[in-house]
Amino acid sequence: MKITVKLIGPFVQLFGFSEKELDVPGGTTADDLIGLVSIDRSRPKIVTRNGRAVVPGEALAEGDRLVISPIYSGG
Amino acid sequence: MNGWTGHILRVNLTTKTFKKEAFSEDFARKWIGGRGFAVKILYDELAPGIDPLGPDNKFIVALGPIAGIPAPNTGKAVVAGKSPSTGGYGDGNIGTRVAEQLRKAGYDALIVEGRAAGPTMLYIEDDKVEFLPADAVWGQGTYVTNDWIYAKYGKSVGVLNIGQAGENLVRYAVVRSLEGRAGGRTGMGAVMGSKLLKAVVVKGTKSIPQADPAGMKKVGHDDLREVHRIDKEAGWSIQSTNGVLAWCNEVAALPVRNFRKTHHPDAWKCDGERLNNARIATYGCPNCTMRCGITIHDEEGRESELDYENVGLLGPNLEIFDLPAIGSLNYLCDDYGIDTMSGGCVLSFYADAIDRGAVPGGYKFGDVAGSKALLGQIARREGEIGNILAEGSMRAARKFGHGSIDYAMQVKGLEVAAYNCKFIPGMALAFGVSPIGAHHKESWVITFELKQTSRESYGPEKAQKVIDLQRIRGGLFEYIVACRFPWIEVGWSLENYPKYFKLVSGLDWTLDDFWTISDRIYSMIKLFWLREYPETDRKLDYPPAVWFDPANVDTEGPIAGKHLEVDKYDGLLQHYYDLRGYDRRGIPTKATLERLGVAEEGRAAEKFGKLS
Ligand code: SF4
Repeated sequence: MKITVKLIGPFVQLFGFSEKELDVPGGTTADDLIGLVSIDRSRPKIVTRNGRAVVPGEALAEGDRLVISPIYSGG
Repeated sequence: MNGWTGHILRVNLTTKTFKKEAFSEDFARKWIGGRGFAVKILYDELAPGIDPLGPDNKFIVALGPIAGIPAPNTGKAVVAGKSPSTGGYGDGNIGTRVAEQLRKAGYDALIVEGRAAGPTMLYIEDDKVEFLPADAVWGQGTYVTNDWIYAKYGKSVGVLNIGQAGENLVRYAVVRSLEGRAGGRTGMGAVMGSKLLKAVVVKGTKSIPQADPAGMKKVGHDDLREVHRIDKEAGWSIQSTNGVLAWCNEVAALPVRNFRKTHHPDAWKCDGERLNNARIATYGCPNCTMRCGITIHDEEGRESELDYENVGLLGPNLEIFDLPAIGSLNYLCDDYGIDTMSGGCVLSFYADAIDRGAVPGGYKFGDVAGSKALLGQIARREGEIGNILAEGSMRAARKFGHGSIDYAMQVKGLEVAAYNCKFIPGMALAFGVSPIGAHHKESWVITFELKQTSRESYGPEKAQKVIDLQRIRGGLFEYIVACRFPWIEVGWSLENYPKYFKLVSGLDWTLDDFWTISDRIYSMIKLFWLREYPETDRKLDYPPAVWFDPANVDTEGPIAGKHLEVDKYDGLLQHYYDLRGYDRRGIPTKATLERLGVAEEGRAAEKFGKLS
């Protein structure tokens, strides 16, 4: 299934891409995907799926947009 | 008295006199500095009902115990007075060398009273105060004014100045300093302008009394290096505050088209990545090792310093997505001394009002040239429309009528910052209960709402989070007076601040001690409000009505079909009041005031409005 991953803020520079589309097997979770795009797991972050925060282990679906962002605290 | 210079400088522009006044240790410990000093002084010295733009208002610059001492992000000052936009207590913080210079001159605060006979620049050097003519720069923007001052005194002096907006009493005129710093969006620039005070220049040569100067020096320098290191590791200052724009766009929290939309396919054009790519220079406040002022060339080739709030509100909110164009609008606001946030919201309100037929006009969303022209008309109060818009969106809406107040994006007369709360209940509450009008500096709960709880919740956990953040952001950082970004953005521990406080004052306080001070100061701001508005009502803590409007819902995206619900919001507001010990109007009860050590101030307020 096709999933779009979008990085936010300094993650773009730190992990080397801004947005990409991945073809992943069905049943892939948000957590699996973070591993696939080599994001440092220890880094504080907020992950949203189609604009809503994901719960760990949540399975993804075809056409999802996963956004991985540092935890902003509002200027 | 270690930790404080122990003195306030009081200057009267009418009589051209000044006094150096001592304050007690009790006063210092009870109010600490910055916002604490400012609200206490204004509460004690201003008669309720005075005109904020008349000679009876006072302009205050207040510093905190760590201000001006090399340590993470201490180059900030609080500017305060009765607000021309809300009519209540107003303030703001600004990055400026005044923080260090005023303390070295021997003062923890400056009170400016009266009204000068002609345009004036106040020059303060230690015990000397001069009232100098500023006719040469009256009518000029802040950049020319700043250069004029630097040419006279060099670049190491502390400077606060205003542009045409402050001179012409635009109700959301700011005070400016350094290359791109601004503060006091509650109209503090207009308070200066009403006194014909074009600039304050400060130079100090004394040392700041500290309990352990050697210890503070070592810790301060080590910590400045450490903050630099962790910022580099986190990469925050690569995109600085504008990193959040792309995220707001993804989670439907971006202001687009006067907040009617929450996201836009072109938002990427002005996001943090594009801003960083366009960077030509970086500026910042004194004593900062994670400088956040990203500067780009605007359409006219001038240097314009951008952050998220001004990109959000002068960009997508006006349906303008071209960075150099946004840069131009930002440059004009900075030069005129117009608050970029209120400026953006006032323009978007005007375009919306025309769109909806509330008022005739040719201005439209996406109109860069029209926006530039309007900012000039506002700053100069030129023509009927310049004059109306210079009053801010709340007053303009009263003039336009036709229900336009519902989409004037403001609370209590102050325009909202760049977070669209169409469906973010906790952040809407944060704007609603911010004691100075809709400012984001008091509390910011969006990531908490999405990650730690659910966006749909109106539960007490959100009210508690708003309070926790108010204690830190609107409390601690506003009275110890330091920039909150090391804690907010790169995780610098809050425990560092009692540590610095102990090194300068010798007092061994916990964060809980500080939270009591924060609550005391918030109560005082509410008492100030009660005195000015005895008929105050909880409705004044409601966000703009359009966020409750079912006709305004998104038709697609993450919050399609959703909007805030009035009854539930009111319940959330009640949670906030209950947790704070406020009554149903949002005013602290007598028991709360007693607990916070301000019962006497409460009794003084009772002459004007009831306490329960
Ligand atoms: S982080 Fe930004 S606002 Fe804070 S002190 Fe540094 S330059 Fe100033």
